[in-house]
Amino acid sequence: MPGDVVSAQFDVYRFDPAKDAKPRFQTYTLNLAPHTPLLSALLQIRAEQDPTLTLRYSCRSAICGSCAMRVNSKSRLACETQIGPEIAENGRIVVEPMRNQPVLRDLVVDQEPFWRQYDLIQPHLILDPAKPMPEGRETSMTTEEVERFKETPRCIACAACYSACPAVSADPGFPGPMALAKLYRFVVDPRDTAHQDRLLRIQPGGLWTCLRCHLCTEACPKDVRPSERIRDLKEMAIAVQGATERGSKHAVGFKNNIRDRGVLSEAALVRQTSGVAGMIGQLGQGVRIYRKKPEILKKPHPIEGLDEVRKIYDALDTKEAPP
Amino acid sequence: MKLAYYPGCVAQESGKELDMATRWVARALQIELVEFPSFSCCGSGFMDEANEVLNVALNARNLAIAERAGLDLLTICSTCQGMLSLANLRLTDPKVRTRVEGALKPLGIDYRGTTKVKHLLEVMTKDIGVEAIRAKVRRPLTGLKVGAFYGCHLLRPADELKSESAEEPHSFEDLLTALGATPILYRGRVMCCGFPIQFVNPAAASRIGGHQIADAKAHGADAMATPCPLCHISLDAYQNKAEAAVGHALDMPIFHLPQVVGLALGATPEELGLPRHLVPTEPALARIGVQVPA
Repeated sequence: MPGDVVSAQFDVYRFDPAKDAKPRFQTYTLNLAPHTPLLSALLQIRAEQDPTLTLRYSCRSAICGSCAMRVNSKSRLACETQIGPEIAENGRIVVEPMRNQPVLRDLVVDQEPFWRQYDLIQPHLILDPAKPMPEGRETSMTTEEVERFKETPRCIACAACYSACPAVSADPGFPGPMALAKLYRFVVDPRDTAHQDRLLRIQPGGLWTCLRCHLCTEACPKDVRPSERIRDLKEMAIAVQGATERGSKHAVGFKNNIRDRGVLSEAALVRQTSGVAGMIGQLGQGVRIYRKKPEILKKPHPIEGLDEVRKIYDALDTKEAPP
Repeated sequence: MKLAYYPGCVAQESGKELDMATRWVARALQIELVEFPSFSCCGSGFMDEANEVLNVALNARNLAIAERAGLDLLTICSTCQGMLSLANLRLTDPKVRTRVEGALKPLGIDYRGTTKVKHLLEVMTKDIGVEAIRAKVRRPLTGLKVGAFYGCHLLRPADELKSESAEEPHSFEDLLTALGATPILYRGRVMCCGFPIQFVNPAAASRIGGHQIADAKAHGADAMATPCPLCHISLDAYQNKAEAAVGHALDMPIFHLPQVVGLALGATPEELGLPRHLVPTEPALARIGVQVPA
């Protein structure tokens, strides 16, 4: 409703590594219309209350990707986050810098880790010198070829997904959602000639630490859906290389495990993923669990209609070229 | 209320206490569980990574079994809920549908796409309603501070699953309040438990699981409760690894969703399979005056 105003409390993360021993939160209050973008509110705080508040922004239109930050723990663009729903849900707005990148000052982070991962996937077309691009005219693509990019060209590299990713937090060697969505974009590009190399290169440590938690897909302001493209990459990687990594062994082992009985045999899956040596390594933990839950070693009864399940496998689990 | 009961693999195996608690609560809430020994595994997110269309086809078969019986399907696992719901969605893609039908039609399976997939949390909070459950509480969980832990696949992707919210859900907390408990709000409640990479990158998995438990603890939780048996494995059975990863003791009892409901409705710890947990639940039970014989 026009004229509506809410009293909005902002608890803003403040930290200047040159001066402060540790970060603190500073509270500001403004009376604002509920549809006010968070970025406008922060700029108003800076203009009227505290000129030292440091943040990064540019276009104010969700195009440049500069103003990603954490809003009540969610990684979002400040310019397209309205304050009303946040106040309604949380009573206040806690504003923090993005995660997984070191803080330079207040809400500004050093994006070096994010861009380093991006560089590592070789974010450019790799062409076969024997087949140069046609000079003087555009290369054309069929509609079907363009559709295979899905939403990935929309990415504005804001790093909201990288900030939201728990796999990056737990293992900084993991490339993160944006780099992998970009990798997908080159793997399906019909002009690129390094599809297989790209999939082989990314696998050790690079693909299978993804938790498919979909926090990146929720964080993405452009609906790039990185988690879904990482899933696609995993299936393509298996098609190119088979099950060679622990992650692909687990996925393929799981699939084969269900063919046996229709339901999961837990102990067999550990063997399929980790091998005998891996099982020995997990023996202590296995015994601990077995004492309380002896079913882990029991083979489950095959389901009724297992023949149907197997016929579905026969029809669809055929080795074929990557999708 | 009559539903096609889809227990999922873990609740029939190492997570049997979840099946026990579900059956107890279903009786108390007059939910008739119709069993189908022909259900196959949902694929758990792993099969989807190896072969998406195969996974959709197997779940279409599961959904068709419930459809033939004219029943909605009840899940008790966030991951089963996510995978079966996504199968319904992916079948709307004509390319996927054609391949799946090519495999199912020769078997006489014709899935029309009408089966609704409902998690027990949704059935209790939406279909039965928290007020109706509050009226049945015989042992209020007064004084017990519980951190709900939703599990990714119950929530995300929110647009595809039509879930209550990707990052700010409240149905579990509403239910806990109705049971007399004090829900604890903490960021970890919507985060990942680490389970999907427990065998792939165990160090990272334990750091992730440990972080969420430590977060709940820092916000004052006496216990956590989850609607996902895979989260339960990560948070309970692997809590020792999580403790090693975060570098301090956590001692956090982890309940399955129907166990907290069952406790409030008067079930004994044994009826709910609580002695099967790796992290003892006694400290949490003591807070609600339940003594467990040694």
